[in-house]
Amino acid sequence: MTDADKFLYGDRSGINDPLAQADWASKKLVWIPSEKQGYEAGSLKEEKGDECVVELFVYFFNPLFFFLTDREDQSILCTGESGAGKTENTKKVIQYLAHVASSSKFKKDQGELEKQLLQANPILEAFGNAKTVKNDNSSRFGKFIRINFDVNGYIVGANIETYLLEKSRAIRQAKEERAFHIFYYMLTGAGDKMRSDLCLEDYSKYRFLSNGKVTIPGQTDKELFVETMEAFNIMSIPEEEINGLLKVISAVLQLGNMVFKKERNSDQASMPDDTAAQKVCHLLGINVTDFTRAILSPRIKVGRDYVQKAQTQEQAEFAVEALAKASYERMFRWLVMRINKALDKTKRQGASFIGILDIAGFEIFELNSFEQLCINYTNEKLQQLFNHTMFILEQEEYQREGIEWSFIDFGLDLQPCIDLIEKPNGPPGVLALLDEECWFPKATDKTFVEKLAQEQGTNPKFVKPKKLKDDADFCIIHYAGKVDYKANEWLMKNMDPLNECVATLLNQSTDKFIGDLWRDVDRIVGLDKVAGMADSGPFKTRKGMFRTVGQLYKEQLGNLMTTLRNTNPNFVRCIIPNHEKKAGKLDAHLVLDQLSCNGVLEGIRICRQGFPNRIVFQEFRQRYEILTPNAIPKGFMDGKQACVLMIKALELDPNLYRIGQSKVFFRAGVLAHLEEERDLKITDVIMSFQAWCRGYVARKAFAKRQQQLTAMKVIQRNCAAYLKLRNWKWWRLFTKVKPLLQVSRQEEEMLAKEEELLKVKEKQIQVEEQLKEFEAKQQQLSAEKQALQEQLHAETELCAEAEEMRARLAARKQELEEILHDMESRLEEEEERAEASDGESHHRRQTEENGGRHHSAGRPE
Amino acid sequence: IEFSADQVDGKEAFGLFDRVGDNKVAYNQIADIMRALGQNPTNKEVNKLLGNPTPDDMANKRVEFEGFLPMLQTIINSPNKAGFEDYVEGLRVFDKEGNGTVMGAELRIVLSTLGEKMNETEIDALMAGQEDENGCINYEAFVKHIMSV
Repeated sequence: MTDADKFLYGDRSGINDPLAQADWASKKLVWIPSEKQGYEAGSLKEEKGDECVVELFVYFFNPLFFFLTDREDQSILCTGESGAGKTENTKKVIQYLAHVASSSKFKKDQGELEKQLLQANPILEAFGNAKTVKNDNSSRFGKFIRINFDVNGYIVGANIETYLLEKSRAIRQAKEERAFHIFYYMLTGAGDKMRSDLCLEDYSKYRFLSNGKVTIPGQTDKELFVETMEAFNIMSIPEEEINGLLKVISAVLQLGNMVFKKERNSDQASMPDDTAAQKVCHLLGINVTDFTRAILSPRIKVGRDYVQKAQTQEQAEFAVEALAKASYERMFRWLVMRINKALDKTKRQGASFIGILDIAGFEIFELNSFEQLCINYTNEKLQQLFNHTMFILEQEEYQREGIEWSFIDFGLDLQPCIDLIEKPNGPPGVLALLDEECWFPKATDKTFVEKLAQEQGTNPKFVKPKKLKDDADFCIIHYAGKVDYKANEWLMKNMDPLNECVATLLNQSTDKFIGDLWRDVDRIVGLDKVAGMADSGPFKTRKGMFRTVGQLYKEQLGNLMTTLRNTNPNFVRCIIPNHEKKAGKLDAHLVLDQLSCNGVLEGIRICRQGFPNRIVFQEFRQRYEILTPNAIPKGFMDGKQACVLMIKALELDPNLYRIGQSKVFFRAGVLAHLEEERDLKITDVIMSFQAWCRGYVARKAFAKRQQQLTAMKVIQRNCAAYLKLRNWKWWRLFTKVKPLLQVSRQEEEMLAKEEELLKVKEKQIQVEEQLKEFEAKQQQLSAEKQALQEQLHAETELCAEAEEMRARLAARKQELEEILHDMESRLEEEEERAEASDGESHHRRQTEENGGRHHSAGRPE
Repeated sequence: IEFSADQVDGKEAFGLFDRVGDNKVAYNQIADIMRALGQNPTNKEVNKLLGNPTPDDMANKRVEFEGFLPMLQTIINSPNKAGFEDYVEGLRVFDKEGNGTVMGAELRIVLSTLGEKMNETEIDALMAGQEDENGCINYEAFVKHIMSV
């Protein structure tokens, strides 16, 4: 990229690109492959044209941040198609949390929990992941991992919930694909003793492994088997249980080797070679005779009696397959439960959690079946949550900014499609109708489709079969696109029937593990319940109505959505760059497809209906002032006012913008338009300026040339003159004589005098200046002197006053002293007199007392 | 329009550009002559007047004074619409800190990558002695300086 492109590009993209502008874009994250860590955070940035440039940036882990600040429950929802990187993403998140939110203080306890949490994934992956054409480590199940934290933000435990395990993969795989990893780990990695204990055989002997031994480049199944066993140890899963798991797997494989033939004269199936069956029973701890009978002619309750119902070859094969799938599924569920037990050991109370959802994204294949319906239904609901959240964020910002805005609730946008699938009645949706059909004895896939068309024909999201190509049975318009569904075997898939005789046998198996696995057999849809085998009326199992796959899933999903709705959701969209499992290659078309499937484009559409671009007042003013010359008067002006004036000057339609408290909001495209205009204006001005610059440069050069021309002319003239004169004798004489003349000398003297005069003038000026300086100084000094004198005078006066005062005080003191002295002497006199009179009176009294008593008697006292 | 005095000047200027001596100047000198005579045409305008010549034409085709005059007249009649304020505003866009100066280096990039890109020689001649010790240019003074010649 040249400097020019970089320069202009950097200017423009921040404002133009809706992805960058809309607030929710800041939460978007994409994992792209990196040499260092397998995956790094990246963001998708669309440039002009088709090229997508992926930029790396350092991503601040949003959810954890929110979590640590608000203690609000968080959820991280990873969606994307197969191979896009959801599982890797999830693992990174868990690794990060385990690292960051563990405390070294709680040494043993916490460390163990962390380790176990990190081992949970490899175990689940061994049993639930497989190689597909799109992804060598494709998760064939969805999961929601809840990590619980205490009030201080440390991990106290975790819980895993799984969804939609693709159990059919246990019994057959498409070309070039594998069954679940564990099969291969076991078959390649088991030692001799294990092989004989588990009755393991060579790859090619198993019918259920459609493609025999398939390896994954860059992986050794043997090593991974060892790792998986180690992981079990770390999780403290005891040997018997591990053995149990492996036995089930071997049994599942052996079930595929059971071969049925049609008996010659009847429909009854028979099993000529029971080696496989024997092995199965040995592994599962059941009796082979009972087992064989249960498969070939099970006892079924009809009304109140039991009847031995003969099975055809197809029915037997079907039952065995169903058994294999159910076994695998139960085992998987047991495994999840077991892991959860290990992860939930601590006694500490969980206060909040971070949940990570890793689930397949929207799937649209050529023809889609029940599994796709479930997945697409899930994604539809997640998308609704997405829209709702994003919309809330938008709305909150509008409110904060005081924007006048009449809103539409975008969450409801998807409701029609969701209703189409999940509504129980009024009119019933796809799942409800499917359930209904399952209860009806004579129902078939076809009758289901017909009923569906009848009930939902008018739903705008439903397209009836007549309008489609022949293959599809009906079509649903999801948010991501139109999906054709084929209803083959949907009733079966929904009911998922199982031979309940065998189930009972397994329930009573001599092997504790197996018995545990098959503990609940109440809700099994027996084969007899399957339409076509029974004769009348809806049947009940021993404990009430059976639960269909659809119902169970709807409930599971409902619980999940409730959980998610009470969290702060963070959406992570994983994008697969190409379908060739190649690093670094980006197929633009494919990426755009996914962006439409994962709702990013939907989200953009929604945002565009609002005011997706917003810019702070000051920035707006700075950037676009050039488009409104003279609109803002000189001097300081409030940012908001300035923008109001500018917008008025730009004459924008009032519907195209809203003015908030701190920003201006624009509809999609408005800012882009302003940017363009700005570019044009700037270019115009610059061009005009450049013309002036060129003019300047040219004129300067020209002036120089003119000077050169003049100079040249002078030189030429002189040269010409010289040439003319140099040989003229008179001229020579003249040049010799001239310097001797007084006249010429006079000129020189004049020059000299003038110089002298100049010098003297200079000197005089200097001296004058100096004089001025001195005068000034002298004035200053005399002023100071004056000041000092005055000060002195003042002091003297003060002193004189003080002196006077002192004299006065001294005189006063003297006076007072004299008075005091006087007083003292008077006092003395008085005292003397008092004494003297005292003596007299005493003497008188005595004489009175002695000589004149009758005097005192008459005197009152 | 009477501009006999200018005409004389014009003729002299014209003559100054004639390097060949045939009383003509090459196409690629026309713009500069106009500028020397006080005009500020953009290259686009000049090219339009010359009938959008090829690079070959620009170097080899020549025109005499009488042919040049009407072209000059056209340019005189359609002066630059922008003025001092506009240029200052235009350059203010690149004033990142809003303090009245732009980086000399940035101005160089702007002039050499936007609009009618200028070459290094032209820019050097333009900016000689304009940058201060930090490499910044007070663009208002700069524009005034440019427009004063």
